[in-house]
Amino acid sequence: MPDGTFLDATELVLNMGPQHPSTHGVLRVILKLDGEKVIGTECVIGYLHRGIEKIAENRTYAQFAPYVDRMDYVAAVSNGLGYCLAVEKLLGVEVPPRAQAVRVILTELNRIASHLIWLGTHALDVGAITPLFYCMREREEILNIFEKYCGARLTTHAFRIGGLQYETYDTFEEDVRAFCDMFLPRVDEYEELLTGNRIWIGRLRNVGILNAEDCKAYGVTGPLLRAAGVKWDLRKAQPYSGYEQYDFEIPTGTNGDSYDRYLVRIQEMRQSVRIIRQALDGLPGGPIMGKVPKVIKPPVGEVYVSIEAPKGELGYYIVSDGSTQPYRVRVRPPSFVNLQALDKMCRGALVADVVVVIGTIDIVLGEVDR
Amino acid sequence: MAEQPSEGKPPAAPKPQPPAKPPAAMATTPWEDELVRDLREKFADQITEFSVYLGQKFLIARPEAVPAIIEYLKLEAGFDYLVDVTAVDYPERPERFELVYILYSFARNERIRIKTRIAEGVRPASVVRIHPTANWLEREVYDMFGIEFDGHPDLRRILLPEDWSGHPLRKDTSILDMDNRWVREHLGIESGQ
Amino acid sequence: MRKLLRKIFLIDLIEGLWVTFRYQQPKYIYTEQYPAQRPKIAERFRGAPRLNINPETGETLCIACNLCALACPENLIVVGSERDEKTRRKVLTTFTYDISRCMFCGLCEDACPVDALELTQDFELASYSREGAIWDRQMLEEGPRPTKYPW
Repeated sequence: MPDGTFLDATELVLNMGPQHPSTHGVLRVILKLDGEKVIGTECVIGYLHRGIEKIAENRTYAQFAPYVDRMDYVAAVSNGLGYCLAVEKLLGVEVPPRAQAVRVILTELNRIASHLIWLGTHALDVGAITPLFYCMREREEILNIFEKYCGARLTTHAFRIGGLQYETYDTFEEDVRAFCDMFLPRVDEYEELLTGNRIWIGRLRNVGILNAEDCKAYGVTGPLLRAAGVKWDLRKAQPYSGYEQYDFEIPTGTNGDSYDRYLVRIQEMRQSVRIIRQALDGLPGGPIMGKVPKVIKPPVGEVYVSIEAPKGELGYYIVSDGSTQPYRVRVRPPSFVNLQALDKMCRGALVADVVVVIGTIDIVLGEVDR
Repeated sequence: MAEQPSEGKPPAAPKPQPPAKPPAAMATTPWEDELVRDLREKFADQITEFSVYLGQKFLIARPEAVPAIIEYLKLEAGFDYLVDVTAVDYPERPERFELVYILYSFARNERIRIKTRIAEGVRPASVVRIHPTANWLEREVYDMFGIEFDGHPDLRRILLPEDWSGHPLRKDTSILDMDNRWVREHLGIESGQ
Repeated sequence: MRKLLRKIFLIDLIEGLWVTFRYQQPKYIYTEQYPAQRPKIAERFRGAPRLNINPETGETLCIACNLCALACPENLIVVGSERDEKTRRKVLTTFTYDISRCMFCGLCEDACPVDALELTQDFELASYSREGAIWDRQMLEEGPRPTKYPW
């Protein structure tokens, strides 16, 4: 596909967003078009920039924890986990096994919730309206569990540095088990609706292809990388929070197109249920808070800790100068880096495919802009 | 803001205080393995330090050698994934910025950091040619710290608007000042923060 | 003949609509008649703040230690206190809580050593003015005063 227009046709510049329903927030994409064909894209981001990294320098370690929930607000629990792990590593605090197991359960529930939001909105973008209602229905159950556990549904602030603030509530285990039992047949239901659907396949297959080499070159992680056939998941590669105890598969695709990413995410939801069940079965007793000093004052140093967030590798690089406030917090957001590959995926595609590609990256603008 | 002294009695809880002693050094241990030997051989005095802190390896190199090191690591040692490019500002140092490149190798399942120190106004070479992902990451560093990368294809602000003045993540940019200025300009009053 | 009858009596239509009408059964109804019917709020929900008072004596539980104000990431709590000359203890005089900046993270509640400050299940925080979002001690102790309408 040449980067120019065909013959003497004029190039059309089209603005998509920031208030376009399928850009999933305030993403503005400037499309250079030759008729219906995309010959170049440019993302304009920053509409939701709140200066999270600057805020961090003006807050104590514990005070900053609620802010990270506001980055990827669809997967707030994962964000909190990454931040807590980073500060714990800096402090050298050991998290008790019970806290680790509860963290895993909540994070995996959050992964399912995030993938459900993705599936629902992505299907809506492509034109299938029903999955959205189904997905929201199941996500509601997860949010109810979160609400009962920590009092908030979206920006949960569920974890504290060193462990957990809240002990699980009385019917926590039953609720989560009931959710798992209910959820697996529901995933089959989504697959019934979409996997073999001709329109779905037609819109997704061979759209937004990104092969493994390109993924690595562009730093793309998460389901996009796995769909390209790279069996890489930080939960396996560098286990954290006790993930090494659980037995699960890393689903991978072959083509690296949007359809494979859909299949990978669907499989990931099933694997998450598997992890949750194992964690519930082996839920240890004991304390939920490690030995954390009252005043969190890590020694001078720096640390980079990353976790497998639903969108990819979410990293925190924290520099401490020995005071109660971090000297620098850098967030390595998966959506931001993955979005960079949009141009690569869109070139030569049709305008309608841009919508699919944006959807398939699974961006959350709160995290892209921070 | 957080440091604002609260009125009334001195409290007995986390109160941000400047560190009493001059900044203590990071308690690192030296990093020795095959990779270090290779790098020493290849880059000799370009790399000044190999250290491990909390099990995380990093090296400190001269800024002009960084692209070559990253390219070498990518081609010869399998560090094919540039995780992040960021910077830290130390205004009191003569070389005020510390650029940090985080690299990962899928084959080795290993993560290393490359750090380099640059003074204000120095233009480090861009690594976009080696890792395309550095494009936006370097733009963000430019946006937040004002470090201009030499040879970057498209060095513009990314998160902040084009007409923004200043670079917010530098330590001498205060949120309070920014806020006060905004209030004064747009509301015509003193913000009273 | 059968086909014609089906058409005349709109059997297909009724069959189709049955799916919809099945959900009219009361047990499938999810809609809450909100102001009349209160939603179920989780016990740990973090909503409107409250300063607890001792139910027997009516005295505040707050010991004016200022820990909540220090824990708050947004610095929206201002605790005013004075020293009681007789008992040599700090006594709470004023307590201001700015709801408009609160993100209900619960850190103040966690920091409180005597469980005086608490985030309750009350979620109706709207007010007609920005000043109305700044709660003083009386409001925190008694709960928000419902607006009285002239009709």
